[in-house]
Amino acid sequence: MTSTYGTIEEVDDRDLIACAQRGDRQAFTELVCRHQNGVIGLIYRMCGDPQQAEDAAQEAFVRVWQNLDRYKPQHSFRSWLYRIAANVALDSLRRERPSTELGSLPLADASAGPEQSAEERQRAVQVRKAIARLSPPLRMVLILREYQELSYQEIAEALDIPTGTVMSRLSTARSQLRQELLVLMEEA
Amino acid sequence: MTSHVLEWLGAYHDGELTAGRRRQVEDHLRDCSTCREELESLNELSSLLKADPPSLRTSPQRFAAHVQLRLPHQAARSTRRNTGQLPRWVLGAPLALIGIWAFLQSALWVASLVLAADWALGPRVMFFSNWITAEGWLGSMASLFLLHAGLLIGTAVLWATWMAFWWAWKQNLNFELSSNQIQKEV
Ligand SMILES: [Zn+2]
Repeated sequence: MTSTYGTIEEVDDRDLIACAQRGDRQAFTELVCRHQNGVIGLIYRMCGDPQQAEDAAQEAFVRVWQNLDRYKPQHSFRSWLYRIAANVALDSLRRERPSTELGSLPLADASAGPEQSAEERQRAVQVRKAIARLSPPLRMVLILREYQELSYQEIAEALDIPTGTVMSRLSTARSQLRQELLVLMEEA
Repeated sequence: MTSHVLEWLGAYHDGELTAGRRRQVEDHLRDCSTCREELESLNELSSLLKADPPSLRTSPQRFAAHVQLRLPHQAARSTRRNTGQLPRWVLGAPLALIGIWAFLQSALWVASLVLAADWALGPRVMFFSNWITAEGWLGSMASLFLLHAGLLIGTAVLWATWMAFWWAWKQNLNFELSSNQIQKEV
C-alpha cells in the first residue's frame, strides 16, 4: 500500500476500508484516527460525560471492526459508522442512566481550554444543558446535523428513518433550542 | 406577497434544497423581513452550538491504541464472517428452483390452452393435437396432469437435496466453530 500511495495519510477512506476488510489492522487504525473525533463527539454530546463517551467510542470502533465485512462500499461510510456510533450511544445512555432526568446530566466540567473566558464557559454549559433536555431522537438528529455535518440523506441512512422525519425532527429540535437559548442568542 | 417560506428555511440553511426551490426561497427572502429574521435566527443558533467544541481527554494516537488493544483476534473475526453471511447459493438455489418451476408451469398451461383451443376448433384444424398420441381431449389432459405431477415431484426431490446440502454445511460450520472455541480456550 505504501509503495503506491506514499504515506498512509494520503490513502482515501475507500481504500482503507477495503484493506481493513481484508484484516489490515494498520489501515483500520488510520480509519480510527480519521473518524474518532466525530464518533467521540457524537457519543459525548448524547451522554454528556467525556470519559463514558471515550469508552463507548472505543466500543463503537470495535463493533465497526467486527462488522466491517457487512459494509457495502456503495453506501456512505459515515452513515454506516454513525449508525453504529448512534446505537452505542443509545445503549450507553440506557445502561448508565436509566432513570436520571436529562436536564441533570453531569456535563463536562467545561474546562475545554484556558483560552475560554468564564462567560464563554458559562454559555457552553447552558448550550449543553439545553441540548441534553431534548429527547434522544431529537438530540441525535440535531447533533448529526449541527456538529457532525451529515447530510439529510446520510442522517436518514444512519438512523434508518425517512428524510422527511429527519427534517421534522431537526425543525422541532431547533425551535426547542431557540426557545431555551433565546437570551443567549440575543446577547450574542 | 406570496406565502412565507418558513418550512423550507431549515433545509435552505442546511444547503439541502433543490436548485429550483432554493431560487424560490432566495427570491422570497429578498422581499420578506419575517423570513429573513427567521433565517438569521437559525444561523445564530448554529454558531452558538458550534462555539462549544468537545473537550477530548485522550490524544488521537492513544485513543487509536486503546481501540487496537480491544480488537478481537483475527481468527475470531474470520469465523464470525462465516456465520454472519450465508453463501449466496443458500438463498439463490431455492429461488432459482421456484423460478424454473413457475416457468415450466406457465409454459404447460399455455400449451394446454393451445391444445384445448385446437381441439375446440374441430378435426379439420387439429394441427397440434395430431402428434399427441392419446385419444382426444381427455387423453391429452390426463397426460398433462401426469406431467404436472412429475414436475412437482421433481421439484420436491431437488428441494430435499438442497435442504440436505444446507444441513450438512451447517453441521460442518458448527464443527469448525466448536473446534475454534476449543483452540481459544487452550
Ligand atoms: Zn416570508
